[in-house]
Amino acid sequence: MKFRSVATAVAILTASALALSGCASSGTGPEPTSSEASASGGTLTIGALADIKSFDPAQAHIGHYVQYYQPVYDSLLRREADGTLVPMLATKWAYNDDNTVLTLTLRDDVTFTDGTPLDAAAVKTNLDRFPTGNGPQASTLAQVAEVVVEDPTTVVITLNAPDPALLDYLGTAAGFIASPTAIEGGAIATDPIGSGPYTLDKTATVAASQYTFVKNPDYWDPSLQVYDTIVLKPILDTTAMLNAIVSGQVNAALLTPKTQAQAAAANLTEYQYPTDWQGLLIFDRDGAMVPELADVKVRQAINYAIDKDTLLAQVGKGLGTVTSQPFGEGTDAFEKDLESAYPYDPAKAKKLMKEAGVGEFSVTMPTVSGFFDPALTAGIGQNLADIGITVNWENVAGTDLVSSMVQGKYAMSWFSLFQGSPWVAANQIITPNATYNPFHTTDPKVDELVKQIQFGSEEEQTTAAKSLNEYVVDQAWFAPFYRPSQVLFTDAKTTTEPQLQQAVPSIYSYAPAK
Amino acid sequence: MVSFIFRRLVSGVVVLFVVSTLTFFLLYFSATSVARNILGESATQAQVQLKETELGLDQPLVSRYLSWLGGVVQGDFGVSWFTSQPVVGSILGRLPTTLSIVLATIVIAAVLATLLGVAAAVRRGWIDRLLQIVSIGASAVPQFVVAIVLVTVLAIQLRIFPATGYVPMNQDFGGWLASIALPILALAIGAVASTAQQVRSAVINVLSRDYVRTLRSRGLAPREILFRHVLRGAAPAGLTVLSLQFIGMLGGVVVIEQIFALPGMGFLALQSTTQGDMPVLMGVVVYIVIIVVIVNLLVDLAVGWLNPKARVS
Repeated sequence: MKFRSVATAVAILTASALALSGCASSGTGPEPTSSEASASGGTLTIGALADIKSFDPAQAHIGHYVQYYQPVYDSLLRREADGTLVPMLATKWAYNDDNTVLTLTLRDDVTFTDGTPLDAAAVKTNLDRFPTGNGPQASTLAQVAEVVVEDPTTVVITLNAPDPALLDYLGTAAGFIASPTAIEGGAIATDPIGSGPYTLDKTATVAASQYTFVKNPDYWDPSLQVYDTIVLKPILDTTAMLNAIVSGQVNAALLTPKTQAQAAAANLTEYQYPTDWQGLLIFDRDGAMVPELADVKVRQAINYAIDKDTLLAQVGKGLGTVTSQPFGEGTDAFEKDLESAYPYDPAKAKKLMKEAGVGEFSVTMPTVSGFFDPALTAGIGQNLADIGITVNWENVAGTDLVSSMVQGKYAMSWFSLFQGSPWVAANQIITPNATYNPFHTTDPKVDELVKQIQFGSEEEQTTAAKSLNEYVVDQAWFAPFYRPSQVLFTDAKTTTEPQLQQAVPSIYSYAPAK
Repeated sequence: MVSFIFRRLVSGVVVLFVVSTLTFFLLYFSATSVARNILGESATQAQVQLKETELGLDQPLVSRYLSWLGGVVQGDFGVSWFTSQPVVGSILGRLPTTLSIVLATIVIAAVLATLLGVAAAVRRGWIDRLLQIVSIGASAVPQFVVAIVLVTVLAIQLRIFPATGYVPMNQDFGGWLASIALPILALAIGAVASTAQQVRSAVINVLSRDYVRTLRSRGLAPREILFRHVLRGAAPAGLTVLSLQFIGMLGGVVVIEQIFALPGMGFLALQSTTQGDMPVLMGVVVYIVIIVVIVNLLVDLAVGWLNPKARVS
C-alpha cells in the first residue's frame, strides 16, 4: 500500500504551519506592531498584573488597577510621580481653618466625551456615589458628610472630621469623575465615559485580554496624550508576563523577583522601587490570645530573632531593603535610623525572653499554599524556634486569609502591606479601628499621636508621624522584615517614572525613550 | 435512534443536575470570606455585612441553592459577584477562545493520529517502532513543558508567534490564527501521540479479524479493505479516545491558558475559584457539563453509525 496520502497530508500541514507563521510575522498580529509603534510615540502597550473588574468609577481601586481608569477618567487632582498634588479637574483647592471644609474650584472648559459638560453637579454626583457604591475604596470617603454645589465651578466638601489623606484620595480612585449622563445610563461598568485623555475603543478591546484606549481628540491638556493609543494587556501569570516583555509584545511590564534575572539579561530598562513592607503583624499586643505577647520584651525578642537579610536573599532574591519600621520611605514618618532598630541578634533575643520571664510557648499563624513562600515559613519557623517560640502554621484558603486576620483569629501573622502616607498607614495598622488591629489595642500615647496627625497643623502632623513611628517600633507592635522592590521593566523604546506609593507608574509617566 | 438520543439526553440532564448540585454544596464549605474579598481590606464590618446581605449569603444554604437552580432553569445564571457582569455573557465571551483551541487541537489530532496510526499498523517495521518511541516520549512530556519550550523558541527567540494574548477571529483572522497556534501545538503533541497509539492498536486488531482475512481471500484490493472495512471497524476506538481527549483538554487547557494569558474558560474557572466567585464558577461547571454531554452524545451517535451493533447496546 502506498502512502502518498500521508505525504500529501504532511505537506499540507507543513504549508499551513508556514502560512500561519507568515501571518504572524507579517505583522497582522498586534504585538510586534505595538512595540515598533512606540518608537514613533504611536502605541504604548502595558502588561498589567491585574484585570479590571468594572469601569464604574465608584468601583475604582488603587495600585495595579489605577492604570485602567486613568486613560478614560480625569481625577479631581493629579498625583505627580513623586506624590506632589497638581491641578487636574480642580484648579484650586483650599481647606478651612480646622480642615473640615474643602473647597474645590473646577475647570470650566472640560466636556465629557459624550458631550456632557463637567460642572460642580457632575462632581457631586460622583462624590456622592463613591462612598455608597460599596466599592473597594469606598471607605476612603467615609469622613465626607456632605458635598454641596456652590456654583457651576465650585464644590464644597464638608467632613465629619479632618482627613489628612483626603487630597491624596481625590488624586486617585475617589477622584475619578465620570459623566453623570453615562452613570444614569447604567452602562458605565463596561462603557466608561469620562473626560480623560483617551477613550475606550470597544472594537479593539477583548475583555480579560486587551483594553485599547485611543486619543480623545478634544482633550483639554494635550501634554498628557504622549501616545496615540494605549493598550493594557492583563497578564496575570508572572511567567507569561516575562515572556510578553522579552518577546516584545508589551513595552512595559511589572515582574517579580523570581523573574527579574531573566528580564535583566534581555536588554530592558529596569526600575526598582518600594511600595509595600513585609513582616510579622503582632496583633495580640494585649495578650488576649497569647499572654506572652503582652510583654514588650517578647515582642522585641521576636524582632531581634528574625534573620531579615537571609529571608530577603532567599525569598526576595535580595531585591529590597531590610527595615524595622512599618512606615515607608518618602513619608513624613520615615526615619533612617529606625531601619536598623532591630538587627538580627538571637543572643539578645534570648536574653530579652529570659528577662521577660517567659518559657517556651507556641503561636498559631496562617499560611496560604502558593502565596507564602516555603522558604519564608521555614525561615520564620526556625528563627522563632531558636528563641523558644514554636510556630504552628495553619493552612487557610487564599480567599479567607485577610478575613481571618482582621476578624482576630490569629495572634500574629506574616503579611505584605502597602505603605501609604502616615495617616493611611495609621488607619491600616495602628488606630484602634484599623483594619489590621483586630484586637483594637491602643494606649494613651498612640491615641494622642494619632490625634495630632489628624487634627494638627502640617508641622505638627510631621512631628507626630515620626513620634508614632518611633513609638510603635520601640514597642515592637510589628516585626517588619523588609521592603521588597517592585521590579518594573520597559523596553528600549519606552521610558517611565515610578509612582510614589503605587505598584505601577501612572499612565502619564510613560514616554517614548529619546 | 430517536429513543436512543432521548435516553442519552435524559441521562445527560441527570448528570448535569447531580454534578451542579454537588459542586454547589461543596463550594459552600470552601472559601467563606467572599464579601470582604470583593470590598477589599479597608472595608468596615458593616460594609461586609451589607454586601453579604446583598449577595444573599445570609440566606440558608438550601434556599440559596433553590434560588440559583430556579434561575438556571430559566436561563438566568445570575451576575458575577466581583464584576457584576451577567455570568452567561462572561462565559460566552470566553467560550470561543477555549473551543477554538480545543476543537482545532482535536481536528489536528484526529487527522495526524489516523495517518500515523494507520501507517504504523499497516506498514509495521521501522515506522511502527518509531511511532511507539515518539508516542511514549511525547506522551511523557507534560503539556506545560511543551508550551514553555514553544514560547521560548518560537515566540521569544524567533518571534514568529505571539507569546501571549488572544485576538478574536472577527477582529483579525491572521492574528487569531497566530494567537492560537502555539497553544494548539502545545496541546496537540500529546494528543496526537496517545491517539495514534490507540488507532494503531485498533487497526492491528481489526486487521487480524477473520472477516478481513476473508475479504483478502476474495481478492479485494488492500486499499479497499483498509478504507471500506478496517478503518470503519477501528474508528470507534479512535473516536472514543478523541472524545476523552476533548473532555480532558477542557480541564487541561487551564494551564495552557495561563501560560499564554488567554481569556478562556479554563482561566475563568481558575479565577472564579481563586476569588470565590460562585455564580461564575457554577456557570462554568454547567456549561462544561453540557459540552461534555453533547460530545459524548455525538460520539455515541457516530459510533452507532459506524458500528450498528453499538446502537443495539
